[in-house]
Amino acid sequence: MKNIVIGRYIPGNGFLYKLDPRTKILAMLILMIATFVINNITYMVVAIGLIIVILLFSRISIKRVYLGLRPLMFLLIFTFTFQIIFNQQGELLQAWPIYYSFLTLGLGAALVLTWGFTKKFVRFKLLYFLLLLVGLGAVFTNLDTYYVFAQGHLRIYSEGLSMSLFIMMRLIIVVTLSTMLTITTKPTDLNLGLEYVLAPLKIIRVNAEEIAMIISISLRYIPTLLDEANKIMMAQASRGVDFQEGKFKEKIMQIVSLLVPMFIISFKRSDELANAMEARSFVPGRARTRLHVLTWKRMDIFVLTISLSLLTLSIVLRVMA
Amino acid sequence: MAIKFERVSYQYQGHDEKAYLALSDINVNIEKTGEFITLIGETGSGKTTLVQHMNALLQPSEGRVHIFGLKIDRNTKKEGKVKLNPIRKKVGLVFQFPEYQLFEETVEKDIMFGPKNFGISQKKALELAKRMIKVVGLDESYLSRSPFNLSGGEKKRVSIAGILAMEPDILILDEPTSGLDPIGRNALLKVFYDIHKTLNKTVIIITHDMNTVYEYAKRVLVMREGVLVFDGSPLALFSRKNIENWNLDIPDIVKLKTALSEKFNINIEDSPRSREALFKSIKAVIKP
Ligand SMILES: Nc1ncnc2c1ncn2[C@@H]1O[C@H](COP(=O)(O)OP(=O)(O)OP(=O)(O)O)[C@@H](O)[C@H]1O
Ligand SMILES: [Mg+2]
Repeated sequence: MKNIVIGRYIPGNGFLYKLDPRTKILAMLILMIATFVINNITYMVVAIGLIIVILLFSRISIKRVYLGLRPLMFLLIFTFTFQIIFNQQGELLQAWPIYYSFLTLGLGAALVLTWGFTKKFVRFKLLYFLLLLVGLGAVFTNLDTYYVFAQGHLRIYSEGLSMSLFIMMRLIIVVTLSTMLTITTKPTDLNLGLEYVLAPLKIIRVNAEEIAMIISISLRYIPTLLDEANKIMMAQASRGVDFQEGKFKEKIMQIVSLLVPMFIISFKRSDELANAMEARSFVPGRARTRLHVLTWKRMDIFVLTISLSLLTLSIVLRVMA
Repeated sequence: MAIKFERVSYQYQGHDEKAYLALSDINVNIEKTGEFITLIGETGSGKTTLVQHMNALLQPSEGRVHIFGLKIDRNTKKEGKVKLNPIRKKVGLVFQFPEYQLFEETVEKDIMFGPKNFGISQKKALELAKRMIKVVGLDESYLSRSPFNLSGGEKKRVSIAGILAMEPDILILDEPTSGLDPIGRNALLKVFYDIHKTLNKTVIIITHDMNTVYEYAKRVLVMREGVLVFDGSPLALFSRKNIENWNLDIPDIVKLKTALSEKFNINIEDSPRSREALFKSIKAVIKP
């Protein structure tokens, strides 16, 4: 649980910490748009390289960001596999026959079971999961003996391959960028920055300040709620809930015993927070004076210019292609 | 020996990469039966962290904890050889904040939750719920109420009943009497003391109330900044000089005894632990 980094501010003093929050939010948005504009694998790899350079440069540990990405890894692998198998556009790159026989089904099931039972002893879980996928692929595409009762095809198309690569890389970039923003920006600064960035929404009668407040409070409370979940799990463990084990029915009970206190505590917290804010004369929508007034520095203009040029570059490259 | 700490240190992994040393180099032994221990120390000194090691909710970063013959160390969870759940049946821990464990629709179900997890039958669990709700000083009408509509003190009592119903060998209570009225507090302390007396069970109580320590404890552990600085009898503790350095207060009875001796020259030779015993001693001195 401790490893979930999304939404957590980690004090530090790299150059990203010194930027104006507005700059960071805008630059993040611009770069995100740029990654959706790019439609060439080479440029995408360059983009990822650039992000790694920024990470190194701003002294955020890559391990930290990787830990933040890890919970998403299974999602990534899932979308990747899904895209590659079901997207049948473009030209056919490679085709394998798939044999369904007692042998392949039996071996496949055996592989999945062994994986399920042994995965808790393996340190590199992700690699182990990939190994399982490779193993399954090998079994189904190679063993054509012993009563094959059906035959299918695994076809990989160029479009499918590139789409799945793109989706994966884009997700990685988007998550990394937002993790970088929240790691280096205090919740209060983030709030302030969002207020400014969302200010144009006033034109369509949306109250930017309120939205900013809601977003930043939510971000602020993710780690707190994770800590709470941890405490609840301990309190229930001391009453004999074994979160590691249990049959399906017990699992449901375990989840209920975690979620109910979680909801109660969150509602109570938000109630208390609302009271505390009101007690300090916070009225939603009323203009407030600021403790910290944001000022643009040369560095901010520099960063924004760079991000905008990168966006322009990616648009130009796409149009030219 | 039921619980044995061997050079135990524990680090919390903080949000900013820094680790926070909450326990350092703790050595302590706790007997299976017959102990009545209070654990004291200023806020943040590591009391809760310490007791969470006693039923293997936390595993030490350094050193070992032996609990009923099972060795718990930093690798225990990874190796998965030691089943932790049976330990929690033997060492019952009541949490500091009841909000973290109440979740069932009714108080009755909530008290039965623990026993049922440990394989006790529905019927027996129901009996336990009915018995324990009275033990903690509430009546049976509470059983059908929702645990969320109770007052803070009532919640606290229900959460204590939930652990008592597991009938653990060793009972640990993290600030069980905070937020209770004085009468209720004394009544509940009597309950714990009775459990200790009649069943000869080991009971460990975390508290900030020095009067509790002085009146009930056979043994006191004092924590300060993650270090166990004192392990001995309450009499020995409060006759030390400079215990204010540990942010501890002097019990009322000791204060009164000192004041009597200084202001009125009434010197009591023995060390009365309760109010009644003190009155008796005073009477003995002024009416020879
Ligand atoms: N989940 C956690 N993550 C990081 N640090 C923690 C965590 N829980 C406790 N700590 C730190 O460890 C130290 C010891 O905490 P602990 O809860 O054991 O104190 P305590 O003696 O029980 O205090 P109290 O009397 O307030 O209950 C504290 O300084 C606290 O800030
Ligand atoms: Mg505590």
